[in-house]
Amino acid sequence: MVRSMLESFGVTLRGAKREAAPAPACVPSPAPAPDERTPIRDAGYVVIDTELTGLNEKKDSIVSLGAIRMRGGVIEFGHTLYRIVNPAAALTAESVVIHQITPSEVQEKPDIDMVLAEFLRFCGGDIVVGHCVSIDLGFINRELRRISGSCLKNRALDTYVIFEWLGQRASGERAFEKPSTKDYQLHELARRFDIPVSRAHNAMMDAFITAQVFQRFIPVLLESGVHTVGELLSIGNPFKGGDAYRAVGQGCNL
Amino acid sequence: MLVEEIINFFKEIPPFQFLDEDALKAVAANLSMEFYPKGTVILKQDGPASDSLRIIKKGGVKISLRSDSGEDVVIDYRGEGETFGLVSLMGERQKTTIAAVDDTICYLLKKHDLFRLIDSTPAFTEYFLQSHFTKYIDKTYREMRNKSLFYGSSDHILFTTQVGELANKEVITAPERSTIREAAQVMTERGVSSVIIVDDRNLPVGIVTDRDLREKVVSRGRDTAEPVKSIMTLPLIRVDARDYCFEAVLKMLKYNIHHVLVIRDGALKGILTNHDLMLLQGKSPLSFAKDIESQQTIEGLIPVSQKVNSIISFLLKEGARASNITKIITELNDRLVRKVLEIAERKLGPAPLPFCWISFGSEGRKEQTFKTDQDNAIIYAEPLSPEEDRRARDYFAEYAAFVREGLIRCGFPPCPAGYMASTPEWCQPLKTWKKYFSSWIATPTADAVLKSLIFFDFRPIYGDFSLAAELRDALNDMLEGQKVFLGYLANMLVKNTPPVGFLKSFVVEKSGEHKDELNLKIKGITPLVDMLRLFALERGAKETSTIERIEALRERHTMVKEYADELEHAFEFIMLLRIHHQVKQMETGETIDNFINPNHLSTLEKKTLKETFHLIANIQNLIAERYKALIW
Repeated sequence: MVRSMLESFGVTLRGAKREAAPAPACVPSPAPAPDERTPIRDAGYVVIDTELTGLNEKKDSIVSLGAIRMRGGVIEFGHTLYRIVNPAAALTAESVVIHQITPSEVQEKPDIDMVLAEFLRFCGGDIVVGHCVSIDLGFINRELRRISGSCLKNRALDTYVIFEWLGQRASGERAFEKPSTKDYQLHELARRFDIPVSRAHNAMMDAFITAQVFQRFIPVLLESGVHTVGELLSIGNPFKGGDAYRAVGQGCNL
Repeated sequence: MLVEEIINFFKEIPPFQFLDEDALKAVAANLSMEFYPKGTVILKQDGPASDSLRIIKKGGVKISLRSDSGEDVVIDYRGEGETFGLVSLMGERQKTTIAAVDDTICYLLKKHDLFRLIDSTPAFTEYFLQSHFTKYIDKTYREMRNKSLFYGSSDHILFTTQVGELANKEVITAPERSTIREAAQVMTERGVSSVIIVDDRNLPVGIVTDRDLREKVVSRGRDTAEPVKSIMTLPLIRVDARDYCFEAVLKMLKYNIHHVLVIRDGALKGILTNHDLMLLQGKSPLSFAKDIESQQTIEGLIPVSQKVNSIISFLLKEGARASNITKIITELNDRLVRKVLEIAERKLGPAPLPFCWISFGSEGRKEQTFKTDQDNAIIYAEPLSPEEDRRARDYFAEYAAFVREGLIRCGFPPCPAGYMASTPEWCQPLKTWKKYFSSWIATPTADAVLKSLIFFDFRPIYGDFSLAAELRDALNDMLEGQKVFLGYLANMLVKNTPPVGFLKSFVVEKSGEHKDELNLKIKGITPLVDMLRLFALERGAKETSTIERIEALRERHTMVKEYADELEHAFEFIMLLRIHHQVKQMETGETIDNFINPNHLSTLEKKTLKETFHLIANIQNLIAERYKALIW
């Protein structure tokens, strides 16, 4: 059932995009950095999630990629991207159990070069947002370096880092409880905000859940005095704190 | 996956449910989603118009309007599955202020996408043009009446026939100056059982019936040359020719008479007798009343009282409004209780002191349907000596115990909390009652507030009514300016929030025997009863029934004035829903309760129920605003 669901969704989307021009060379364009003074309610975001064969950046690779666009606090269902990738590395039994994408399923899928080209076009100059996104970015950038020698130029935000910051800073009615180790897990965090979570991990659903989490943060951020994109980028930098959560949350995003 | 989730949501909610799968998919692909924390002003009056219709996925919003005088008036609440912002799409400026009353998530449908749907789907247009509350009520009533289970082929004579159609058109009269003999001759000649006595201007001043001739003339050997005025009965009870027969029945019951005058446009137009009504239909409430009256023992009352429940389904089938059903049932139950009290007094001899038997709770409010717990008490006149006090206590203790047992045998279960005259605490002289009331008002503990809710709806049933009237006046004096106590009542009633408004489905019992069911009494009737009681106490209105309170306060209370019709409709509707439910349970032999399953209601009933809960929430808000300082 999962298979057919994934299939139908993937096919629909691809069908719609079939007439697009042939994939250009997969070179990250120097994305026009968003004006740092833009109010966070007016900025464009692309919320992403990836499923991986494992967490080893050397051996493992991307299995699927989901992305959904947000304009300020508004999630746009009309702008999504979901691709299953034919991975270079073999799917391990463990990871198949988690993301429920089987080896036979990925065989006829496009390879990562094609998917990333599409992904770059989808992102444009928007800010990339993800939960523990440095892991996703690590894999994406490894592939981009292999293809073109350069990394993703888009600015990035980590919802976990923002959450941690808000846990320490936000006060008043909407203050959060201090994050607990559990909150490294996206789904735990979602439950905290009463965001519905389905059982299976799926890059598209997880990107949507991340988008909803991010959506909840925006009013709290504004209350806490974070108004511009520049301010948001400085508190939500994915590489802040030396990737502390990687040590704690093995597979925090998986 | 994302789209499926959205489609599943939209499949359940009108008007999107009228769209086919492909259209829904197209809608879903064009939607966006926004989150508003509790308190967010989503759209502001006079601000720029919105560019999207918003569909509430989770949470709820309050729609308010700022009047010219700068006052914010809440005009509606919308909950899950409902939409807002439509009106605003049509104009340049936002016409109302819409704020999230809870953390709220909305789907946004762009203006041009919505207009495309409106153009292509007639059901959409119709839905968005639908009208307001009172219209639903009428439709709901019609729908209920069409339910064959209750309204088969039986004719609804009592409630559909106007008095004027039935009344004897030719009124037999005799002038005021006639003698008894002359009046009797007129009756004999015309073959009637009664004659109306009229003054010089032909206006009725009294009535003489066969019974008067028998009781006041023949049996007392009165001189038939005496003026007829000396034996005529006063006052004359009148009904309007346009009233339904039910009104006439009620008046006959109430005044224990068999004739009513029918008046049209201020002039005497006819007479309606018990007999006319009896001919009309075999199973009149009047025949029950007669049955009750003719009993002399508790044993004799038992079979009669058992039949009272069946009259409810009879009245329902006649098409009676809920308030009419409760009026008749109250009247019959009052008679039953009075009869038991009479029997008790005959058995124990006359009371040593004047007293008044009062009832409260639903009985006090005249809102009984099926037999409910006994809620009664005795107020007696102030004893002049300790000796008299002791004698009174002994007598009333025995009296109340006898009545309690008698009522149990007639099918009125004892009050589990002991709010009965047979509990010494509730059988007291007037002075003690005043002391109770004033201490509850002065120290409104939880227990005191609870007791006030029950006892302040008291109504005299039997005995010396002036004692009850004095207590009522004293209560109203005590409440004068007691804003703190009224604040406690207000506080308690705003806590009983309606179960809908912020939710797509009704909030129902979460577990236990009545899982997924809605308690109509606690969530529907109680809030309305409580608010009208509060309003009545605020204004010192003496009425105890909710409908009568609405009528009495229509011109005296701003909130009631504003919402009188809605309140009346809402109360009628909830009561009717409950009676329907209970009659069905009675007819299928189930235990009678107040739990309904909202899923079994028709769409219209559901919608009306929701409107009712919105109304309750609305008024609770106004009350909370008024008692702001006292609500915590």
